[in-house]
Amino acid sequence: MKQFIKKTVAALLCTVMVGTVMPLPVHAAANKIYSIAELEQTIKGIINWKKLDNGSTLEGPLINDAYLELAGTTPGDWYQVGMGRFGYSDDYAGYLAVIREKVQDRYKTSVKLSAAKATEWQRISLAILASGGDPTKAGVDANGNNINLIADGTYNRGKTTSLGKQGINGWIWGLIALDSKRYPVPEGAHDSRDSIIEEIIRQQLTDGGFALYGNVSDPDITAMAVQSLAPYYNSEKEYTYKNKTTGKTVTKKIRQVIDESVNCLSKMQLNSGDYNSWGTKNVESTAQVAVALCSLGIDIQTDGRFIKNGNSLLNGIMLYRMEDGGFVHSYTYDQDNPTSLPTESNTMASEQTLYTLTAIWRQAKGMRTLYDFRPEQSPGLKNQINALKKEINNLGNTPTTAKIAELMKKYEAIPESEQCYVFNYYKLSKAAENGGIEIKEESVETAAKEEAEKEEEEEESVLLYFTDTDKRKVKALPKDLTTEQYVDVIKLIDKLEKSEDFDKKKEYMDQLLNAKKEILDIQKEIDNINKDVKEKLYPFEKISLSDWSVVHSIVNRYKKLSPYDQKKILRWDDVVKTETQVDNLVRAVVITIVLGLLSIVAAVFVIKHIKKRKNRKLNEMLALEKEYEEKEKKEGKGA
Amino acid sequence: MKKDLLALGFIVLAIALILSGTKFQTVDEYYMTHIDDITPDSKTVTISIRCDTILDNWNDLVPELQSDEFVPQDGVILPETAYVLREGDTAFDITDRAVRYNKIQMEYQGANMNSYGSVYIQGIHYLYEFSCGPLSGWMYRVNGVFPNYGCSKYELKDGDIIEWVYTCDLGRDVGCIWMGGEWEEE
Repeated sequence: MKQFIKKTVAALLCTVMVGTVMPLPVHAAANKIYSIAELEQTIKGIINWKKLDNGSTLEGPLINDAYLELAGTTPGDWYQVGMGRFGYSDDYAGYLAVIREKVQDRYKTSVKLSAAKATEWQRISLAILASGGDPTKAGVDANGNNINLIADGTYNRGKTTSLGKQGINGWIWGLIALDSKRYPVPEGAHDSRDSIIEEIIRQQLTDGGFALYGNVSDPDITAMAVQSLAPYYNSEKEYTYKNKTTGKTVTKKIRQVIDESVNCLSKMQLNSGDYNSWGTKNVESTAQVAVALCSLGIDIQTDGRFIKNGNSLLNGIMLYRMEDGGFVHSYTYDQDNPTSLPTESNTMASEQTLYTLTAIWRQAKGMRTLYDFRPEQSPGLKNQINALKKEINNLGNTPTTAKIAELMKKYEAIPESEQCYVFNYYKLSKAAENGGIEIKEESVETAAKEEAEKEEEEEESVLLYFTDTDKRKVKALPKDLTTEQYVDVIKLIDKLEKSEDFDKKKEYMDQLLNAKKEILDIQKEIDNINKDVKEKLYPFEKISLSDWSVVHSIVNRYKKLSPYDQKKILRWDDVVKTETQVDNLVRAVVITIVLGLLSIVAAVFVIKHIKKRKNRKLNEMLALEKEYEEKEKKEGKGA
Repeated sequence: MKKDLLALGFIVLAIALILSGTKFQTVDEYYMTHIDDITPDSKTVTISIRCDTILDNWNDLVPELQSDEFVPQDGVILPETAYVLREGDTAFDITDRAVRYNKIQMEYQGANMNSYGSVYIQGIHYLYEFSCGPLSGWMYRVNGVFPNYGCSKYELKDGDIIEWVYTCDLGRDVGCIWMGGEWEEE
């Protein structure tokens, strides 16, 4: 996002451009601790703001048709992550139906989802997961093969182009996507968990943090790196690698890398509790740090490292809340930006705050971290982990070797894929190290393998009921379809496919499939007209009479489109101009011909007239001559 | 005789009209078809598109694009060209007009497809963001200054100079000075 770079950090999530004058802080009181109820109220406030922003109603879904048109783009994918993880009910089925179509469509191009950005796969994967779908079965490509967004967007991305083609965020979000369900990396994959981890940690800067570029850490990228590495905080594995900035070979555990990053983040926090990124105090950077800390089990409301001048991160975030429930990007008014609207809630600030508050809320409720999409832990497992955490906290300064060994055993008794939730394990590890007790080192891949060995989740095959409302919707489809009905038709087809049999199901399906085909044809025609305009009409200086039929065929095709679809033809005014141009040319020719013809007629008239006159004169002369002759004769006779 | 003269006069007039090639247009039509003609009274802006930086980072360029078909030898995709400034034109409008008139390939993300609320230029002349390393992509400056918001939000005024430049180093190699020092916290 080079064109917005001043305040932009990560191409995937990054911050925004809109500066603002004096927002209206609703919760600005320092040192305030927020209850679960208050978090929920704030979260719902954001959702309600976005609903109205989308043109929906408070009772209607956030994921409405307007929102679904953007499925597969940054502003069309992130709200699901916040809402879905919060357990808010909305039209996730609609999203899954539409994103499936869009993914399949984009897979028909040579670059699939993107030439350079692996984050396209990663973001869509997370949005599908949050909506209750399966990114490893995201559709079918043109050859009939299953589309696995996790494989294509993480461990096998390198078979096409490097995960890091767009920079460090490709690696970071690749790891987050890969660990969203602890997907195992199969044999023969291009990258392994270890290779992705190493790519991230070798880019650590000397101040402990990370950046998209340069030597100074950026809060957003540092926080995102921590989010991705967090599941490995308890890993005892040592990585030996050459640091990219210093060129020195170092040996570190991931824990050490994260501790250094957290320390760096603590130092960067401002006295108001929030963060500065690229010279602008903003809510998104603050939000990313909060998500990172939650992923480590750190309580952001009480941890002293992240309370500055009595202001916690959450206090810092709440500074940006607007009266309409949404969040604003920054207070800083940007004088360079005369067209930006000040004091307005902003979609990116709001979407990032939404999932951040959800991460904090999940932590308070004892649920899994934001990007851990596995089913929630059983109460038994939760108790087991909590009991161990308590015992570790009570270890004291000089625990006995026997006690350490006992707790280690209890730790190892917890399934490896769940050990990361023993957030204070580092204390036990340190005690063991001090006591000279050997600690087992596991491969980072083990946890994922363990997860995969768990009984495969039963294929979700919920049978839906195609209601009368749905049937009415099919019947209400207009005879002359437009692309406006695309989202509706896709959603209805998806629902009908999953619904139990009923009388006339096939008729409904046929009608819907025909409608889909018709709409796709219209879309194709729109694309073709746009292409023809671009290729055949520009530049206009060369427009000549021979283009008349081309121009008019384009105009006629345009006229056949519905007004809704006509709006999708770009720069139509240029075509109107061209049409006038050729019509004027034609008119000039017609006028020339008419004038020419008239001249000829006039000329003929004149010539005829002259001839006639000549004849008349001749006749007169002759008559006169005759008369004269006769006169002479008479006179002669007389003489 | 009089009639003849009249007819002859008409013929002369018609021939004169045909030879002079006068177009028969309404005033509206005239304005519409001459909207882009530069006259002494026109408000104009100039635009250029360059990718010089790639020449210095040739090895980072994806191999498929390593050809002067995509990267002109002098780095100039569109030399400085003047266009008439129409009412309300943004930097994007002029850019789109320029690439259309010159048949230069361009791909962009619509204003509603990203969170910036502005059109984002992804690729020009088949050169895309990240085509030449992770810090590469298109940036624009107006009168030498890099605006930090999207081109479809930048309304132009008479005499503005728009330059699209390809960066391989997040702006540093094209003189985007705010990158370096302005970092400190308040």
